[in-house]
Amino acid sequence: MRFSALVLLMVTAFHVSQAADLEAGAAAAQTCKGCHGAAGISAIGSIPSLAGQKDGFLQWQLVFFRNGRRANPIMGPLSANLTDEDVRNLGAYFASLPGPDKRPPPDPASIQAGAAIAAEHHCAACHTDSYMGNRAAPAVAHQQRDYLVKALSDYRSSARPSVGVAAMTEAASGLSDTDIAALADYLATYQ
Amino acid sequence: MRTKTMARTSTALASLAVMAAMAALPAQAADLKSYDSSKPSFWQKPPADWFLGDETESMKGLAPSVGPATPAPMAELQANLAKVKLPPGFKIEVYAQGLPEARQMAWGDNGTLFVGSFNATNVYAVTNGADGKRQVKTILKGLSMPTGLATKDGALYVIAVDKLLRYDNAEANLDHMPAPVVAYDDMPPYVAHGWKYLVTDKTGSMYIPFGPPFNVGIPPTSVSQVRRVDPKTGLAEIVALGVRNSVGGDIDPRSGDYWFTENARDWMSDDIPSDKLNHITKIGEHFGYPYCHQGDLPDPKFSRGHDCKEFTPPVVKLGAHVAPLGMKFYSGSMFPAEYQNNIFVAEHGSWNRHEYQGARIDRIVVDADGKNAHQEVFAEGWLTGKQDYSGRPTDILLAKDGSMLVADDWAGAIYRISYSK
Repeated sequence: MRFSALVLLMVTAFHVSQAADLEAGAAAAQTCKGCHGAAGISAIGSIPSLAGQKDGFLQWQLVFFRNGRRANPIMGPLSANLTDEDVRNLGAYFASLPGPDKRPPPDPASIQAGAAIAAEHHCAACHTDSYMGNRAAPAVAHQQRDYLVKALSDYRSSARPSVGVAAMTEAASGLSDTDIAALADYLATYQ
Repeated sequence: MRTKTMARTSTALASLAVMAAMAALPAQAADLKSYDSSKPSFWQKPPADWFLGDETESMKGLAPSVGPATPAPMAELQANLAKVKLPPGFKIEVYAQGLPEARQMAWGDNGTLFVGSFNATNVYAVTNGADGKRQVKTILKGLSMPTGLATKDGALYVIAVDKLLRYDNAEANLDHMPAPVVAYDDMPPYVAHGWKYLVTDKTGSMYIPFGPPFNVGIPPTSVSQVRRVDPKTGLAEIVALGVRNSVGGDIDPRSGDYWFTENARDWMSDDIPSDKLNHITKIGEHFGYPYCHQGDLPDPKFSRGHDCKEFTPPVVKLGAHVAPLGMKFYSGSMFPAEYQNNIFVAEHGSWNRHEYQGARIDRIVVDADGKNAHQEVFAEGWLTGKQDYSGRPTDILLAKDGSMLVADDWAGAIYRISYSK
């Protein structure tokens, strides 16, 4: 199995020292709460939780939405007028919130399959052993399941750009639909 | 495993973690990444991670660095520059801020600074506002890797992989750039190493490098070369062969000869092969790629019976994985006399090396015929850890007053280096 690209985000530097204003981030985040939840924890399967997410990852996604490289009919217009300062503040704000709680595992067999796939693809190399992320690699544990399926599918089809150059494009390229479902179950309910 | 925390920037620990992970995995997990880059289908549609395709056991896991999502704010830039070391008498300051992925720079006749970019797809214009503050405008968007640009007769030329685009009367139209005229497009569409650099000579012809669409392999016929293109007629000649990824060059004011930087192949080791500074002394000479690297190192797989003696060696071996990009001969009047006609090279810095090097500006003192070359570091301090940057120089341009501008694609900024006694 190939995994070199996955190690990338762990071993290379992502610059996160830029000063940010949490209060300004909280004010700007009012717009986000309708979909992503009042505390940044989504109640909608297809929409990701942002609370506790990695600052660097959030910033890159906003930049990708703003410049259209990550095409999304909702996030594109919402991010079109964000300044770089907004991007830094929003990233820092959501990163500062406590992340979603663990969920009970629904199906042991599917979880086991997901764990094996995650190990095979070295997901932890970037996302860390707790799957709580690092720098530009997001927290994927306890994320919304349907969103995880969509994200992995979009990386697989190159519909979504990957930071870490091509880390996620490469990691997702060999996944089947069944693999993706199992991974999403495993990560969404990660214990 | 779960509760373990790793030192995020420590390659050694990361490698150990990888090895530990590998030990528990099936044998196939240890496969090294490799692609068959010999087929045209690969050239047209390389995988997204094509540059990882010649991985070795010892280099496994290295990959290009992820920069910040947004350009560095002014306070952070100033803190970064406070750590940059220069020779006595030299000073560095922020010239312009907020240019994501800034690459090659060129002056307009009326003092507009044009700046290309890498993946950001933009071309920027830096102007002096009425209030005396510098303004950065994004004047072009959505271009494919518009790294290289030049100005000539009031027009801005931008090269976007396979199109040399001319925007007439550019400085008068920064807010509404005209539709471009395609000045030259006899170029392959390969994006991999397809980003380019433009150097205009006295006659108005442009030197354009063509990199191969992979790390190493037998190149397609139309690449691994430098062409000299007349943008008026679209006529082109091949002036150098056997060139890998070159994204910088300049005309020696003493001789009129073209000199260029060249990024050597990856995945051999941390310390070989060396990146190069080359000098074209006769048209059509071959600089060795893919058969021979750094002038004296046959490629283990692609030397194909060639002897390094067949090829033109570099004038200077700049070092392994320093990634030399833009360069300029110093022809200004501000720096001390001994800097006259010295070459300054912007080194972008490593990714395919366990401990990064480069991310600095080198000074090369060399005779016009390539003899008596001496290399030293001119500006450094952007390397902030074994694998971490605060900035990465991509290009150098001289200002009218003789000061030097430096583009940085990591921090998204332009710096100015000046000298006073």
